[in-house]
Amino acid sequence: MTQAITLRLITRQAGGGEIVRTRRIETGQAMIGRSPDCEIYLPDLAVDRQHALLRIIGEGQVSVESLTGEPFIVNDQTALRVELDVLRAAVVTFGEFDLLIAQGGEGDIAITVMRKDEENPPSPSLFSLKAAMFGRRRMAWAFALTILALCLIAPMAAGFYSRHIHIQPDRQWSTGPLSKAHAFLETDCKACHQKAFVAVRDEACMSCHQDRGDATQIAALDARLKAKGSPFDPLLVSNHADHARLVKATPLPPTLGGKVKTLFQVALNHPTDRCASCHREHTTAPPDPNVPATADIVRPGRPTLVVVNDCQSCHSNLKKRLPSTSLIDTPDWSRHPDFRPVITTGFNGPQPRLQRIALTSRPREANGLTFSHRLHMDAAGGVARQGQVLGAARGYGGALTCQSCHKADGGGFKAIEMERDCGACHSLAFAQVGNELKTLRHHDMRNIVGVLRGAQSPASSPSIDPAVLRRAMAPGGLCVDCHTINNGGVLGGEIAPVHLANRVMPWGDFNHSVPAHAGQGAGAAACVDCHKATTSDHSSDVLQSGIATCTACHGKTEQQAAAAASAECSTCHGFHQPGRAPQTPQDRTLAATALPAGVKPRGMPAF
Amino acid sequence: MASVGGQSQRRKRLTHESFLRHHQFLFLKVAGALCAVAILAYLTQGGRLSPGGGTALGYGLGTVAAGLIVWLALLGIRKRAVTDGHYSLKAWVSAHVYLGLSLIVVATLHTGFHFGWNVHTLAYGLMLVVIVSGAFGVWAYVTLPDRLSDNRGETTRKQMLAELQALDELIQDAAQPLDRQAAEVVRLSLEQTDIGGGFWRRMTGNYDNCATALALRQVAALAFDARGAQGEALKQIEVLLTRKAAALALARRQIHITALLEAWLFVHVPATFALLAALTAHIVSVFFYW
Repeated sequence: MTQAITLRLITRQAGGGEIVRTRRIETGQAMIGRSPDCEIYLPDLAVDRQHALLRIIGEGQVSVESLTGEPFIVNDQTALRVELDVLRAAVVTFGEFDLLIAQGGEGDIAITVMRKDEENPPSPSLFSLKAAMFGRRRMAWAFALTILALCLIAPMAAGFYSRHIHIQPDRQWSTGPLSKAHAFLETDCKACHQKAFVAVRDEACMSCHQDRGDATQIAALDARLKAKGSPFDPLLVSNHADHARLVKATPLPPTLGGKVKTLFQVALNHPTDRCASCHREHTTAPPDPNVPATADIVRPGRPTLVVVNDCQSCHSNLKKRLPSTSLIDTPDWSRHPDFRPVITTGFNGPQPRLQRIALTSRPREANGLTFSHRLHMDAAGGVARQGQVLGAARGYGGALTCQSCHKADGGGFKAIEMERDCGACHSLAFAQVGNELKTLRHHDMRNIVGVLRGAQSPASSPSIDPAVLRRAMAPGGLCVDCHTINNGGVLGGEIAPVHLANRVMPWGDFNHSVPAHAGQGAGAAACVDCHKATTSDHSSDVLQSGIATCTACHGKTEQQAAAAASAECSTCHGFHQPGRAPQTPQDRTLAATALPAGVKPRGMPAF
Repeated sequence: MASVGGQSQRRKRLTHESFLRHHQFLFLKVAGALCAVAILAYLTQGGRLSPGGGTALGYGLGTVAAGLIVWLALLGIRKRAVTDGHYSLKAWVSAHVYLGLSLIVVATLHTGFHFGWNVHTLAYGLMLVVIVSGAFGVWAYVTLPDRLSDNRGETTRKQMLAELQALDELIQDAAQPLDRQAAEVVRLSLEQTDIGGGFWRRMTGNYDNCATALALRQVAALAFDARGAQGEALKQIEVLLTRKAAALALARRQIHITALLEAWLFVHVPATFALLAALTAHIVSVFFYW
């Protein structure tokens, strides 16, 4: 007897639950298809009208065969014909319908027909753009966290390790290019920004710019910076004054806005007395309609200079803020005090007594010499005649000029040396031995005096008869022409100590070599315009002229003076090199020959 | 009905414009004054330093701009809190729009027109993205609700979907007598029609290669030659598919306008978060390397 087929049709209801309809098929085969006359009717367009035939082919054995050549799915595998053992239940799928073929009750073959779960019908949320996009919130957080990681956390972490890694994520923090002088530091933010959340401090600047005075240290610094890529040797600076005194001496800005700004900055640990307060980096020069836009605007040669406090703001009413200062107020050029040159007023033992005395007090000098500039420069006198005799070959040839004795050296002059500058006329011969003239070694006078005192052995061959020297120092003697003789001592008389100041203006610089100061060009000053040497009879005359000589040109317009020049304070007073005009890197070598870096001119008073 | 609908439209139009006109343009005036003060201060600032974020005015403008950005971003929180009274949400939105636009002036002056490939310009760029997307949002909120309303008439979105589903069921039933080839064509429409589509389809409203349109063309061709039950069914399906295409067009216009209305927020909100992060990096970095 052929097995029967029990067909169970299961229909899901919308509100849940199922309706099960059961039918027996006795014919031993069942047509599967979309046509309503099929035994197994599957109303699905994916199923052909008479898609496949199911037949019982033995005890517990069925076959399913496609009639149209369209496949169906058996246990997740596509097939056109399949034989199944009902003891091992199988699922045959046509379109949306699953047919579960298994052993039924009473020896039947059970076929359960179920429609797969239908997809949920679209909801009105389909109309919103959200249906097609990532969530806004997820996108928002993803962007925010990515930016925080890449632009904040990574550079901060690099701040601690940047010396050891090659990438510099903190470069994205740079607000603008550095100046040409500092461009080599662009990959090393920590060179200047040494402490997190602390404004750039002077220590960072001074690690390269401190004038340590020692040539070896300076050379080592230059070499170190060159190796790092610096295009220039660093400008070396000295303190304008002691920092604590500077802070005391600096007033708040005159405007209300300036005061508020300064107080804000101080409160926020961004003080205005730092190097970086005036020398600003990462910024471009302000647009100036008179300056064409060149690369220099974007990357200037040096940091942009912003004057936080100008000279006048501190050097006005200074004593009110800094009672111990000896400086006189200079509110502006027209009220610049007259010069107070360093005057040698006498000697304490061998040491000169130096004193700054205003020219208005008509100071007199006691430098230990007897000398008349008038006598030496008289074009019709004996000195001029002597010049003629000496001739041009020896650098003379007539009346003496300033340069006959004062030898230029940079912007100043070499210190006077008797043998070189006076010796052509002033013989130091003190004795004749046979045909040989014995001359005093003027540059070695200490030795000679020591010999005479019996305290030293002679450093040179001529034996000196004390009687001869005594004669030289006696009134009318050789030395007395130029030297003051003090009574006393081993010889009964001693040459008074001499001090010729090579520089009498300790805080101001004056360059004798610029054409306008060397008598070259229209309106230029000659030596005698400032130094009244041709009318000076005594070495006690102070030949320094007053500030009125300067104001004849400085601070004047071209209409007022042919050699009109600037009246900026910095023309003579360098802020960072007290006593010198501002330097350029090229000046450094030159300036070093005039005055050792970091060494104050002698006689410089305490500030 | 028509007159009721008309009144409702007019009332809506007034409501849409009112956040711009709020309190006789109070916040437009406030924002204008802020811009004027900023521009005046910028033009009259002295000093040797080139204008930028590092000057006193630069720090001032930066502080104002950063404060504004944070306050503007707080609208996202404020709008979720339902309150009434003086500080109404409408006032907030009005201030949000005008003060947000004023940021273009304040923040640009803060930069001193210095831009570069750095975190600072990133923050500025993101701010502009937020502002421009917000401006698009203002335009959308003022103009699109009317178009949305005109398009759907008295039909709700639920009804549109229900109609499409009902048509699908009718087509399914009508297609039962079809042979495999014709049935496959009908299945195209039933199974492959994507009502909304992706981002660009929604934004452009272009559904050229729609499966239903394709099915309709093929069914019409098949119906021309078909006879008997198949022919009858195909003719019926052609009518049903034509109705479905019309229903789809209506729904898709609704989806397109909705997309335009919502799209700016998908830029505005994530860009705001990105801006807040970049702003944090900008401010912290400035003080980290002060």
